[in-house]
Amino acid sequence: MQTFFDDGRMAQAMPVRHVLIVEDERKIADAVAAGLRDEQYEVAVARSGEEGLARIAQHVPDVIVLDIMLPGQDGLQVLRTARKMAVRIPVLLLTSMDSIEDRVAGLDAGADDYLVKPFAFAELSARIRALSRRRVPEEVVVLELGDLRLDDAKNEAYRGKMRLDLTQREFQLLEYLMQNRDHVVSREMLARDVWKETSRYTPLDNVIDVQIARLRRKVDDPFPRKLLHTVRGVGFILKDESQ
Amino acid sequence: MNMRPESVRIRLTFWYVGVLAGVLVVYIAAAYSFQDWQLKRQIYHDEVQDMETVEGLLYFDGAGQLHLHEEYHSRPQSRLLVDRLMEVHRPSGELLYRNDRLNGMALDSAIQPGEGYPSYNERIFQLENGERVLMISHLHPVDGQPLLIRIGYDLGPAKSRMMQFLLVLLLALPVALVVAGFAGYRIAQKALAPLGKMASQAEQITANRLHDRLPIDNEVDELGQMARVFNGLLVRLEQSFTQLQRFTSDAAHELRTPLASMRSVGEVGLQQAHTEEGYREIISSMLEETASLTQLIDGLLMMAKAESGQISVRATEFEIDDLIDEVVGLLGVIAEERGVSIRWDRGRRGTLHADRALVRLALVNVLHNAIKFSPQGAEVTITSEILKKEGQPFLRILVRDVGPGVRDTEKALVFSRFYRSEATRAQEGAGLGLSIAKWAIEANGGEILFDPHRLNGATCFIDLPLGYGWRTVV
Repeated sequence: MQTFFDDGRMAQAMPVRHVLIVEDERKIADAVAAGLRDEQYEVAVARSGEEGLARIAQHVPDVIVLDIMLPGQDGLQVLRTARKMAVRIPVLLLTSMDSIEDRVAGLDAGADDYLVKPFAFAELSARIRALSRRRVPEEVVVLELGDLRLDDAKNEAYRGKMRLDLTQREFQLLEYLMQNRDHVVSREMLARDVWKETSRYTPLDNVIDVQIARLRRKVDDPFPRKLLHTVRGVGFILKDESQ
Repeated sequence: MNMRPESVRIRLTFWYVGVLAGVLVVYIAAAYSFQDWQLKRQIYHDEVQDMETVEGLLYFDGAGQLHLHEEYHSRPQSRLLVDRLMEVHRPSGELLYRNDRLNGMALDSAIQPGEGYPSYNERIFQLENGERVLMISHLHPVDGQPLLIRIGYDLGPAKSRMMQFLLVLLLALPVALVVAGFAGYRIAQKALAPLGKMASQAEQITANRLHDRLPIDNEVDELGQMARVFNGLLVRLEQSFTQLQRFTSDAAHELRTPLASMRSVGEVGLQQAHTEEGYREIISSMLEETASLTQLIDGLLMMAKAESGQISVRATEFEIDDLIDEVVGLLGVIAEERGVSIRWDRGRRGTLHADRALVRLALVNVLHNAIKFSPQGAEVTITSEILKKEGQPFLRILVRDVGPGVRDTEKALVFSRFYRSEATRAQEGAGLGLSIAKWAIEANGGEILFDPHRLNGATCFIDLPLGYGWRTVV
């Protein structure tokens, strides 16, 4: 099930995925492309809607990241055209306006997901993972990392043989981190997916930091191998660095 | 093409002259008819007098012929009666006398039954030669014989006098209209002059000079009222402009702080080579500032949307205790970490009709605030009660802490954006939490305030109207 790459990094056997980024702002496009390449995606960048459509016609990618505000044809038009071309692949829309009308318009045009600028790269990466996972339902998610193991059915977590005494919220948090292991998870993602917080303006960051600190005390503090790390300014990552 | 005159002055003048002309025409017609009627009454009375005179002068001669004592004939004094026309009949219809002035023409047609008795009869008709005549007839005995006497006078002189009268009236009409039009124009000009003045003064008032006001000459009159209303509008405009300017400069200032630290961290980082760890440190520090920038902008955007009414309030029924439980559960970890305990004394359980998400947002911010300012080991208390304000029942949620409290002078200010008191300036946060809470509660028709009588610590009142109904849950 697991293969070792040359560099010793362990990864799941997964075919290389192609991502097309349609974005006219060079800095964003380049940064996202570089980030995704680091995560082993094959990335192409188009700087206008027309160029994006041409690329889709040449070679259909696995996921499209599409900005709404584009020169010439805007993102929604590109999306409609792509859907008319019978392109069924998942599309992640980038918008700079966080309004319900925009979401509705985007989903109507056939988008699968949307992300509001400014976004955290961790979040974009997680969304793309989720979108490509949709296409591969057979992928089995094993909630194991090093000697940390989660029993989903019983809501129990173990390190080695030792059972961790977690509250409900701590378990949910650990489960989410586990599902995104080896990937950085931002506070916004935790707020939305673990705390189910819909409002973007609630003082939740403090709560998240406190909750992570408590989780760390239970998951990491008694053990020599540290798994839960803070990536300052970005978020948190569950990762076994000893491997 | 638009034929309407452009200026209000000219339109007003036209209207004025038009209405006046109408009134004058009606007046002339009325005056003419009245004068005419009056004149005919006059003639009738004169004729009756003349009839009495004539009746005394009639006599039969020996041959039974009827005569009039011409030597005693006196002309009526009225200048309207010029030549007497006269006929005398027997009641049977036989003509006994007809004077020369008639030249053989008949003075009206045959005798009508009952004519001249018991009183005078009066008729207007035309003679064969076209003269219009006012005739009266009277039955009168002469020498014991009943005779029907008819006397008539030509209406010509009366008519020419009426024509003169009409002419005078009609000549006066255009003169009156011209004078009135001119006066009306000047009056309209005078009345509207302050408007022009106001307009040119209003033109001087721009966004940058909103403190100017229109002068008010007379508080009570219509123009004064308009100026007052306009000035009131200016006051409101100026307030919201000032507010907007303050908000913009506050927002810019708040945005500048994270930007400045990002810049200096970046600049200093580039000054010399660092280890990989060092660069990580620099980038992380910059990213932290980005996060606070993003949060600030999210908050600002939300306030802007809220204030322009773009966030709709969706009221549902929900149990307030459950919501408080949820909020306490959410923030409980922070309190624990700070060594602060939360005591939540349940009141009567009941459902509230409001936007749950907004009430929650407000509660989270208020409780977070209370925890943040509580010293270690302190307690934050939440209670709720049902009270009445002006006869209306409302639910009050009290969040009490024993922190530094809110000074009386700051009790209203703490709800304004970016406000941070001296005591709390060191604390993190952009200072938007309470203003968001205030908006969220007010959007539900409620009120949020700090207990004005509280001396130590702070007590925040969140008042929500129960107008939609409070259902006690058993």
